[in-house]
Amino acid sequence: MSSSKNDDPISEKILNVAKKNPKGISDKDILAAVPELSAAELVSAINKLLQEGLFDLYNQGGSLIYRLKGQTSKQAVKGADNEEKVVYNLIEDAGNKGIWIRDIRLRSNIANTQLTKVLKNLESKKVIKAVKCVNASKKKVYMLYNLEPDRSISGGAWYQDQDFESEFVDILNRQCLRFLQQRADKIKNNPKGPVVGRTQSFASAVEVQKYITDLGISNVKLEVEDVITILNTLVYDGKAESSVLPDGTKVYRAIESLIPPPGLVQVPCGVCPLILKCCSTGLITPQECKYMDDWLEN
Amino acid sequence: MSHQLGRVVSEILHQYFGEIVQKVGHDLFIYGTKPIPMIVKTTGLPRKQVVDSLRTLVKFDLVSFEPSFNEVVADYKLNPDNVLLLIRYPRYLLQIKTKFGSEAEILVEELLQQASCTASFLLVTVAAKYKDDKKKNITLVKLRDVFISIATARYIQQAPVADKSEVPSLEPVATIVPDIDIRQLAQAIATDTLADVSDNIYWKVNFDRFHQDFRDDIMVKAITRRIDENAGELMHLLLQNMYLTSAEWAAESNPTPVLDLRDAVDRADRTDCDRNLLQQYMDHYLRVLEENGAGFVVRVGEAGGGQYVVRGRDAATQLLLAALDHTVTERLGSKAARIFRLIRTKKYIEEDDIQKHAMLPNKECKELTYKLLEEHFISIQPMRKAASSGAMAKAVYLYHIKLHDVAQSLREMCYRALHNTLRRAQHTRAAHARLLDKQRRVRTIVHTMRVRGEPQQHIDDVEETLTPPELSTLKDVEARLKQLSAAQLALDKNLFILNWYFMYPH
Repeated sequence: MSSSKNDDPISEKILNVAKKNPKGISDKDILAAVPELSAAELVSAINKLLQEGLFDLYNQGGSLIYRLKGQTSKQAVKGADNEEKVVYNLIEDAGNKGIWIRDIRLRSNIANTQLTKVLKNLESKKVIKAVKCVNASKKKVYMLYNLEPDRSISGGAWYQDQDFESEFVDILNRQCLRFLQQRADKIKNNPKGPVVGRTQSFASAVEVQKYITDLGISNVKLEVEDVITILNTLVYDGKAESSVLPDGTKVYRAIESLIPPPGLVQVPCGVCPLILKCCSTGLITPQECKYMDDWLEN
Repeated sequence: MSHQLGRVVSEILHQYFGEIVQKVGHDLFIYGTKPIPMIVKTTGLPRKQVVDSLRTLVKFDLVSFEPSFNEVVADYKLNPDNVLLLIRYPRYLLQIKTKFGSEAEILVEELLQQASCTASFLLVTVAAKYKDDKKKNITLVKLRDVFISIATARYIQQAPVADKSEVPSLEPVATIVPDIDIRQLAQAIATDTLADVSDNIYWKVNFDRFHQDFRDDIMVKAITRRIDENAGELMHLLLQNMYLTSAEWAAESNPTPVLDLRDAVDRADRTDCDRNLLQQYMDHYLRVLEENGAGFVVRVGEAGGGQYVVRGRDAATQLLLAALDHTVTERLGSKAARIFRLIRTKKYIEEDDIQKHAMLPNKECKELTYKLLEEHFISIQPMRKAASSGAMAKAVYLYHIKLHDVAQSLREMCYRALHNTLRRAQHTRAAHARLLDKQRRVRTIVHTMRVRGEPQQHIDDVEETLTPPELSTLKDVEARLKQLSAAQLALDKNLFILNWYFMYPH
């Protein structure tokens, strides 16, 4: 932008007005801001600015609107041809969600081979990057180089280069449970009554997040939503229950199963993979069962 | 009435009544109802043996009969559920002992063995049996008092009475707590005959009353695990109140007002809970019980300071789910249990969503889901899109749980396991039959020698006929049999929850 500043006072004034109105300015706005300007001067000044690529031109309700371009875009487009500019703009609009190559082709109307070349070019300049999508491993999306991919693309904290880190999740799952269990006993025979005890045994996701962060087991910054996902797995494990406080915050509490392990899982048959093949006679019988031998040994 | 149930029933009958009764019982299980000539024909047993077997089975209420098309002939029918109760006997004894003491245990044990008998016969037999046992110090008066109290508490009831038709039908009668004349009974013991006592009211054990106790126990324990002892005690009191106002197995009890509960709490004298805390915070406990008590109890109205309902059906379902969770965890691991519960929470869910919510790697998640499907813990519902939408339309597969079906297959699994333990125990017993027999004989001889007062040296000689290796084998076998019967009891507890769930129509 420094190049345009020392040019002439008219362009500078127009730029200042444009900066104040990020939504864009019309001819009238410019004239109001710079009243001494003649129509011819205005046209030449605008044309010059457009040429420099500082402004985008839009048609809004019949009148022309000039909008200041972002700083980066101006730099990036420097020394690029028209195709690159178009592709760049499309990618920029997609933000951190990225855009699929097919969509670029459809919108820009550039032939496939040329488009690949353009993209490669931009990539080698480190203006854009390709990111693999976790949901569909074959799908590549493009976004600006300096952007952090969205959660839906990168998968959030649970993915390292597209691979799901189940061990990390397991550890967090265990730590969250430990935190909840430390509090769970407060409900038992609480001298202040069970309602107070229950409130004390509850933990909100924010508290759990703080605990996990303080432990320092994760080098990735965990958001509250991440912790809620982990806490939900605990609920699905049957090791915790969730509840909602009157003010709307979701809270969790460690619980025990209603019954101790039932009789079926105390005998080998309950866990036997061959239970459906076990008969009174034949190869697999309870009399000859090896699992039962082992179980009766000790 | 499944094949597995048939195997279990047959095995139980063999263990308790021997081979012939097993044959008759199994025959009846397979064919449903049939008259004696048909049983004789299919089993190939002599008629006398069949009749004797049926007599035993009818006596223990394992077989019922009704007039067939020709009204002078009876059709016989096996009651498999009652056969399964045979392995529950030790639990009945334990329950009555904890509630009413060892005299009650002895009485109930004798009554279980007799199946049904008159009060005077029962008291006289028990008193005669323990006449010489100075340690237990059992008197006729004490026995009578205990008998009356367990009859009042409905743990025993009057046996149904047969009417006068050709094939009698058994009519249940209302139980009236009897008035027992001690002097007459004492005389009977002294003269060793019951001829003088005219008593024609027969008694039998009321299993249902015991089952109510078991159910209460499970519910109270579950609440204790979830919240604490005081909440468990409150649950106990709620159940007690339920008996006063509703049918015992009602899916939902009639509402109990808080005021009544307050009275009950003030009267309660259980030692294992902090009574002051319960009195002080009863309203709080009720709230927590309702909100965090797995849906056993709900508040239904505000009359009388709030009214609470015990939901037996929901409790049974919750307990079944807990049992299922345990089973899935043990069979397929905790990750599979997570998927199982996830599907249950979401009701219907797609495969991709399972993976997202369960936080499992794609491959592992799929594998576990298919394993769950394979073992029939979950079901699949394809949703085909209309053909008009073209080749792009893919069918959607929704996973869900059919609880009733899963419960059925769990019950089948319990039957299998129970059959296997019974079979194994029987096999162990048969394999060491000679040794076990020898041990029994030695014990009888030693006992009679002791009674006769023979010198210690002779007794030792007899005892030494069992060699050390034999003794160690015996010890081993006994330990195994004990473990197997403990497993049978545990399986029976498991089946109890399942049958409780099936009691309510779904």
